[in-house]
Amino acid sequence: MNRINPLYIVVLLVLILLFSMFKLNNAKDDLKEVKKSYEIVNNLSTKLKDLKGAYSDKKKIEKSLKNILSNKILKNSSLEYTFKKSSLKIYTKKMDINSLNFLMSKILNNNYNINILQIKSLSDTKASLKMEIKW
Amino acid sequence: MSIILKVKKDLILVMKFNNKYKTIFLDLNSDSFEIKEKINIILSPALYWVKKIKLPVSSIRDVKKLLPSIFEDTLPDGEYSYSVYKANTESEFFIFAYEDKKILKVIEEKNISILNVIGIYFAQSELSNIDSAMKIDEKQSLYVKDEIVILVPCCWLEEKGELNLDLLTLSKNKINIEQFAHIIDMKSLYKFSIALVLLIILVFTELFITLQKIQNVYDLKEVVFEKYNLKPTIFQNKSMLKKYTKIDEKQIKIREYLSYILTIKLKENEKITFINVTNKKIIVHFNGVDSKKTNHIILKFKKNTIKFNLKFKNNTMQMEILL
Repeated sequence: MNRINPLYIVVLLVLILLFSMFKLNNAKDDLKEVKKSYEIVNNLSTKLKDLKGAYSDKKKIEKSLKNILSNKILKNSSLEYTFKKSSLKIYTKKMDINSLNFLMSKILNNNYNINILQIKSLSDTKASLKMEIKW
Repeated sequence: MSIILKVKKDLILVMKFNNKYKTIFLDLNSDSFEIKEKINIILSPALYWVKKIKLPVSSIRDVKKLLPSIFEDTLPDGEYSYSVYKANTESEFFIFAYEDKKILKVIEEKNISILNVIGIYFAQSELSNIDSAMKIDEKQSLYVKDEIVILVPCCWLEEKGELNLDLLTLSKNKINIEQFAHIIDMKSLYKFSIALVLLIILVFTELFITLQKIQNVYDLKEVVFEKYNLKPTIFQNKSMLKKYTKIDEKQIKIREYLSYILTIKLKENEKITFINVTNKKIIVHFNGVDSKKTNHIILKFKKNTIKFNLKFKNNTMQMEILL
């Protein structure tokens, strides 16, 4: 006749219910946190991908810069340029204003990381240029 | 043959099991017991109502359904439980009505802990084989009349001896006393318990689904890490993003300020002779500028709250714009 009081079973069930609800609540909070963290990672990765693509994609940047520098307009500008591991240095003692305008419009209208830019006017139509672009 | 042997073996086991525990006879007039060990109880006929009845049904389950209505007119007011077992003859049953609360009260009054009670039996099922009156105390005897075990005063019959339960083998007609039925409505409690169990199942199901969703988001996160070739920790990635955002902001500023500079409407004798973009500032030299008339140059910078410094050297205005 050693029977368990049914009320104890009900109390136990209530406790199990409370425990499961507590766990569920925690899990829901965790889900919110995890979703939030996923959103952060997703946004972060998209931004990072865009910015890395714009400023540190070596192949892409080198290719587009070579394209610009090989343009006919710049042929008479006696540009000296050196591609290094993570930068490009451009230098000329004298270039005409049209070539300068062409070069600057190409550089400024694209996402290049201009580290140094020095333009010195020599006359109304001539200028010297020193520039470094990094990636 | 093997079946008979098995039955005999089972019977021996039951006897051994029953003999393990002491059996006592419980009556309203019993003295208090000083028992600390486990026991079986045989209820005195004073603690239950019994009838031998013939019914046109064969199963005990069918009889059980009829018991409340059979006893309806004979029992005094009270909360009764019912029990039944088959008699030796076909379609005949011994039916019982008893008050759990009353039995529990007597057990308690006789100083017996309910935790020590292994089983409770009716005198009817256990002692119907006594062949003459058996004395149970100074005032009462047990006697079997028309197959019904009854309680009679001592002096009515000549007793053969006192009731000895030591060698008694108990039957399988044990009853369950509802210890808590008088405290709570068991049906409501069962319904409530079922509702609770269903709720628990529901909550656990939702918990399982939520945990699954968490796992899915983790998996998606891993996919993003692999797809974008991210560094292992968020901290490292944030630091990288910070570095590139800084570069981006600086480059946007350089282009914005250069655009301001190159769109200034200079006066006839004024011209830009030098532009130098460094890590932290842009330096611009304006030639031929009157130091008192610089508004047309600095207006845009002031409007856009851009920090700058002006210096005049000879005929040149040196403008330093902070990045």
